[in-house]
Amino acid sequence: MSMRATLAFATLRRNPARTVLAVLGIAVAAALLLDMVMLATGMRESFRSLLLTRGYQLRVSPKGTLPFDSEATIDGATAIVTALRANPDIRAVSPGLGATLALPGTRFPSVFSLGLESDVQGDYVLEGGRDLPPPSDTTASAAAPLPAVVNRAFLLRSGLQLGDTLTVASGVDAQLRTTARARVVVLTGEGRFFYVPAETPVMALPLRDLRTLLGSAYRDRMSVAMAESRRGDSASVEAVRRWIAQTQPRVTAISTETAIRQVEERLSYFRQLAFVLGAISLGIGFLLVATLVTLSVNERRGEIAVLRAIGTQKGGVLRQVFLEGFMLSGTGIAGGLLLGLVTARWLNGILRDFPGLPAAFDFFLWSPEAAWKSLLLLLVSGTLAGLLPAWRAASIPIVRSLREDAVG
Amino acid sequence: MTRRLLWTCTLVLAGGTALTATATSARAQGDTILSPSYGRRAPSVRGIAVDARMAEDFGLRPGSVVRLSGKPGIPGDSVAVAAVFERKADPAEVARREYRIRAHLDHLQQLLELDDRVDRFAVGVPDSVPIDSAVARINHVAFGFRAHQSAEVAVQSSRTFRVVERFHRAIGLITVVASAVFLLCLLLLSVEERRRDIAALRLMGISQATVVRAIVIEAALVSVIGSVIGAGIGWVASLIVNAHFQQVYRTPLLFALLTPEIFAFATLTSLVLGITAGAVAAWRLVRTPPLTLLGR
Repeated sequence: MSMRATLAFATLRRNPARTVLAVLGIAVAAALLLDMVMLATGMRESFRSLLLTRGYQLRVSPKGTLPFDSEATIDGATAIVTALRANPDIRAVSPGLGATLALPGTRFPSVFSLGLESDVQGDYVLEGGRDLPPPSDTTASAAAPLPAVVNRAFLLRSGLQLGDTLTVASGVDAQLRTTARARVVVLTGEGRFFYVPAETPVMALPLRDLRTLLGSAYRDRMSVAMAESRRGDSASVEAVRRWIAQTQPRVTAISTETAIRQVEERLSYFRQLAFVLGAISLGIGFLLVATLVTLSVNERRGEIAVLRAIGTQKGGVLRQVFLEGFMLSGTGIAGGLLLGLVTARWLNGILRDFPGLPAAFDFFLWSPEAAWKSLLLLLVSGTLAGLLPAWRAASIPIVRSLREDAVG
Repeated sequence: MTRRLLWTCTLVLAGGTALTATATSARAQGDTILSPSYGRRAPSVRGIAVDARMAEDFGLRPGSVVRLSGKPGIPGDSVAVAAVFERKADPAEVARREYRIRAHLDHLQQLLELDDRVDRFAVGVPDSVPIDSAVARINHVAFGFRAHQSAEVAVQSSRTFRVVERFHRAIGLITVVASAVFLLCLLLLSVEERRRDIAALRLMGISQATVVRAIVIEAALVSVIGSVIGAGIGWVASLIVNAHFQQVYRTPLLFALLTPEIFAFATLTSLVLGITAGAVAAWRLVRTPPLTLLGR
């Protein structure tokens, strides 16, 4: 350790209570700053990774709506999907239909159901059992039970297991106590659904069978389609989005970027809160170091004058005081990093209780680049806070300060 | 028994703008009707009520005629704007930028080609009937629907705000800890800086207790004055926050509120912290011999 560092360290150790409090203050400020940076960037990144889980960069929804934001569906779905699949710039298209099916005789009256094509679906990952058959598989007889993939919440709430059967129905007539259509379903697989809250029971069925079950009005309908551009760069994705918008007037095509922007608009409160609190924590860190180093320098005017009198250069004093601010900030930030990660976990646990939030969504996400940048900013601001007192210390009049210190 | 029917769905206004339409009484929904003629138009040209945000964006006013259809690309019906309503200040909807219209129930059912269907209906029971038993009786005969107590629905729908409230409390706790450390540090430093004055007082014969009391009173005064200034800054900040977010979300909701309870809590916290810090710093100094404080 150099002499300057040793002296700076000794100065900080001389007032342990003061140093500990300052380090603690900077640590809390750093933790708050880190949390707010994680909040501001985490939502965006978490949502982006959620949307791109299966590589689909585009969502096609009923005109003017966000996917599953309303009960609206798209008619003429087959023609639209065929047109999209015919475009050489589009690698894959996954149509989906959402509907509520009645569950007569089970513990809960209805379940949110998704009609999907298993070979292109991007809504769940199979965690157990067998997947849905591909749409090309037409070997099953019309009377055979429909295969279904359900999530853990469904199994827990219904008390059923994989392999069990149940009846699903649509077209409920409450007055006649009848259903228009019903089918026996066998639970073939358990899946983790990306876009459905973990606590919501959900059932995936083959798209064709769900349409049949819902009746003639849904014969050729879908709620949403996901499309994957062959080239993943944003310009190519945007070109495909524009093509869909021009050729399909009854739908809205939303790219991942647009969806993120729209969600950010809805959650802008959290981003702005993060910005305000992050700025406050930066200010607190700056003020703490500035106040502490200023008072410390004022206390040691005599000592600094002695150092200058015995030949220490102005730059040497400047570096030593500067080093004090750096040490305080550095130690506080190191503690703040740990504290920030713990509090981020705690705060994320609170916000994840939001109703209707997809299971894979996080508000606080560790983003190394953003986190290091913010902590570096705090370190620089804390160190710079010591600049003025350091300059004042280096510029004190030697003789007068020695005399004042001697006379008191 | 009174009954109120509600139907909520998505409609498409000619021109391709999606909006949410609810068929019900505007007054029953708690909205403020800005024009009194809603519901009095002859049934041949049906009337709808549009929300003030939509009226402003599209230049609509009572009497304007728009086309309304249940599917995009279909001409739909000509309808007259019969009223403009101000949406209630609902935090659940504040971030949703969709437009709202209100239509007559039968009109909306006809537009959507859905006969005799509703999303939900509210049931009012006489005071003499226990709500529990009414809900149980309805659910006993229910087929394809369920009855819920309004209180249960309110608890479920307020979950978002309970989460936000818990988050705010957690953030508040962190900022209180940060400011407490900052306050303790500052007071400790400001007292320690006056070690020469304290040494002089002690050498003059002023007792330790008197010095401690003087410093504690000074710290308390500084804390109270600081709290009042902080409250003033907070009040101005809340005005700015409210003005900004009310404009961003176009809502009369208050986003930040400085209440007497919050002011009392902040003042009391800083007073306690100030007194503690002052007492600790003063006690440390008065226990040190005066000559040591003077550097002799």
